[in-house]
Amino acid sequence: MRDTFILTRAAELNSLPAFGDFIKRTCAELGIPQETSFALQLACDEAAMNVIQHGYAGMNPGSLMLELRPQPNQIVMVISDFGHPFEPVEPAAPDVNALLQDQPTTGFGLYLIYQTMDDVQYYSDEQGNHLVLTKRLS
Amino acid sequence: MGDAQYPISIRTINSLPHDAKQRIYRMLVPPELLTRFGINPILWRGSGHTVELYAPPDSSSVNLSINNPADAHDAYFTLELKDNATNGIDLNLILLNDPTAEKFGIDYDAEGKATEWGTMTRNLAEEERAMRAGLAPAQVRAGLGMSREVFHQLDVFLAFCSRQAISLEPLTYASAWIFEKRGFAYVRGHKLMDDIHREFQPGGKLHAALDNSTPLRQPDAWRTVRGRAWAIQDGILEAIGERWRDLRMIKVIGKHAGVETFPGAVY
Repeated sequence: MRDTFILTRAAELNSLPAFGDFIKRTCAELGIPQETSFALQLACDEAAMNVIQHGYAGMNPGSLMLELRPQPNQIVMVISDFGHPFEPVEPAAPDVNALLQDQPTTGFGLYLIYQTMDDVQYYSDEQGNHLVLTKRLS
Repeated sequence: MGDAQYPISIRTINSLPHDAKQRIYRMLVPPELLTRFGINPILWRGSGHTVELYAPPDSSSVNLSINNPADAHDAYFTLELKDNATNGIDLNLILLNDPTAEKFGIDYDAEGKATEWGTMTRNLAEEERAMRAGLAPAQVRAGLGMSREVFHQLDVFLAFCSRQAISLEPLTYASAWIFEKRGFAYVRGHKLMDDIHREFQPGGKLHAALDNSTPLRQPDAWRTVRGRAWAIQDGILEAIGERWRDLRMIKVIGKHAGVETFPGAVY
């Protein structure tokens, strides 16, 4: 079995469906349960949105690289970019009233990531900025 | 050289005695290239060819070149690496030309001034001649067909230096496409490359601007990497309010990003 599945696209809104499809296809190929696939798609969508909005702000967007690394009891999803570092600190629960009234809220995407993933790590190095999301398969 | 787990800079290597740094920089020259031109891999000389190393102490860059035996100022292989401001390494220049192929004077204008491969000033007559001969912009001769070997050696060298990535600024659309095939992703300009591909399709603004108004804007140029590259060299990106500038690419050592902004491309 391959140990890494990679998809790289421009960090722009038009790329989001491609990332979702990639996760869906890869999970199906690996026999990963649909609920895990949905969680990964949701977390990827939110994380990619953060990169698009903040990571590449003020420049012609570069690449966004999605890696899926299946392991015996978990799947690791790494989302890498080469823009401004943007550490996703775990936010407080969002203001539900503001959401219901369609008012601008911050941190809702990050809240979803932390709720759907079992582990969230972030680091920047010579290879770019990396959000490492782990989902257990049990 | 310090702790092997910490990255080694070009400046650190350059501070070594000449023989020591030459041994390290040997990693950057593909054996296939030396074999092809009968160059001794230890002495760096043979059959009239000489590998030149320019890596002065206190400098943060290294330049390796092999000149055409018929012209000491005509390098057919050049590789220049430099420490960058973010503690990484940049590939500043890579030239890989076949010294036996016909030369096109795109590197000097009609007044004899250097054009910086057509980026500062241009020699339009020679560019047109080069295009018709099948070259891409910035090429003075046909390529050597050894970029895969050179990038393999770069990976070996960077791994030796405990480096994780290398960056560069692609000079032309054609070179960006080649770097994609060699595993590079974009720090800046991935969206621009996508926009270029989309607008070169029938119905797009770049497709419409291929109007034969200059020799470099052939109507069928959108079909090939080289055709698009020459039209971009000619300034066609103005049709979408852009210029070829500020693109930056990165290769993570040992990883192929799989970027393909011109799917199914014909070179």
